[in-house]
Amino acid sequence: MKLRITSVARISVPVAAALMAMPAVAFAAEEGSSGIDLIFPTMSEFIPMLIAFIILWVILAKFGWPAFIGMVDKRAATIKDSLEKAETAKQESERILAERNAELAAAKKDATEIIANAKQQAEFVKADIVASAQTEAETIIAKARLAIENEKKAAIADLQASAADMTIAVAKRVIGTDLSTAEHKTIIQRYIAEAGSFNEN
Amino acid sequence: MKTNLLNTRAKATVYAEVLLGAARVRNNVFDVAGQLDQLVAAVRGSIELRKALIDKTIPAAAKKGIVAEIFSSFAPELLTTFDVMVDRGDLSLLPRVRDTYVALAEKALGAAFVDVTTVVPLDETLREQIVTKYSAQLGRKVMLREYVDPGLIGGIVLSAHGKRIDASVSSQLESARHVLSKTV
Repeated sequence: MKLRITSVARISVPVAAALMAMPAVAFAAEEGSSGIDLIFPTMSEFIPMLIAFIILWVILAKFGWPAFIGMVDKRAATIKDSLEKAETAKQESERILAERNAELAAAKKDATEIIANAKQQAEFVKADIVASAQTEAETIIAKARLAIENEKKAAIADLQASAADMTIAVAKRVIGTDLSTAEHKTIIQRYIAEAGSFNEN
Repeated sequence: MKTNLLNTRAKATVYAEVLLGAARVRNNVFDVAGQLDQLVAAVRGSIELRKALIDKTIPAAAKKGIVAEIFSSFAPELLTTFDVMVDRGDLSLLPRVRDTYVALAEKALGAAFVDVTTVVPLDETLREQIVTKYSAQLGRKVMLREYVDPGLIGGIVLSAHGKRIDASVSSQLESARHVLSKTV
């Protein structure tokens, strides 16, 4: 809506409206006093009324209309300012909203990256823990196997030593008690023949 | 200036030569060698005897009495030499005197002393077999010093000039035991 109105337009509009209405009212009063004539004034009444109207119109045009137009302009300016402020506020709000959206998007991106990094780190830690546990388990198993093997060898060695000791003890007892002097001498005779030389050593 | 080792050798040689001279006079060289071995073994095997013989608080006469009582069957020249060694504090020289004496005696007699240890005493056949074999090996007459040790279980152990031939049953069984215990 165009709010700016020139001073000519402000005066010409109400004057034209008054001039168009006055002849019709004057001629209607002259034709009779019955019926519809009753509601129209007579010429004697019309002239003073017209003069009064003109005076009133001039006064209003001179003093009332500018004040009204000023008030309207002021109101229009106020509305315009308000609209401009609203527009500015809207733009500011949109800018802030855009900034917040950007910040939110950045925050979401950061959060996504942090979560992804955390997941990756967790995967690394998990893999490391699993590898360490596996290595430790393998070491424990290897040590256990080695210990078992050593125990087994020691047990076998003990068993062999015991068996050997027992065998030799039995042999000593049998030879020592069962051989006669003649048999001993026979053995000595054979060993003398088989024995080495002092010169060999 | 002579070192302690040279002094020790010289002293041992003097004792051995004196003992050999006396033994030759009595024609007892070979027997003294055997008795000297027994004397070394007895002193080495008895801490009480060693302590008594080196104890300076015990009079020399008492020490001589102890020696005479324990080794009464030994040759007098050996006991006299031993008493002198005890008097002079040279008991530790006894093994070296024994070795020197044996070397000197072997040289004097033109023979080699061979120690023979068996479970049962040797008879003439075995002696002859041993003497014949080792006289040929050593290139001189062999004189046997015989010992009986049931611990051998069987067989024979010979030693001469610090060398040893172990053909005993006990050593063979010990070898067998070692092999059995190490075999997987």
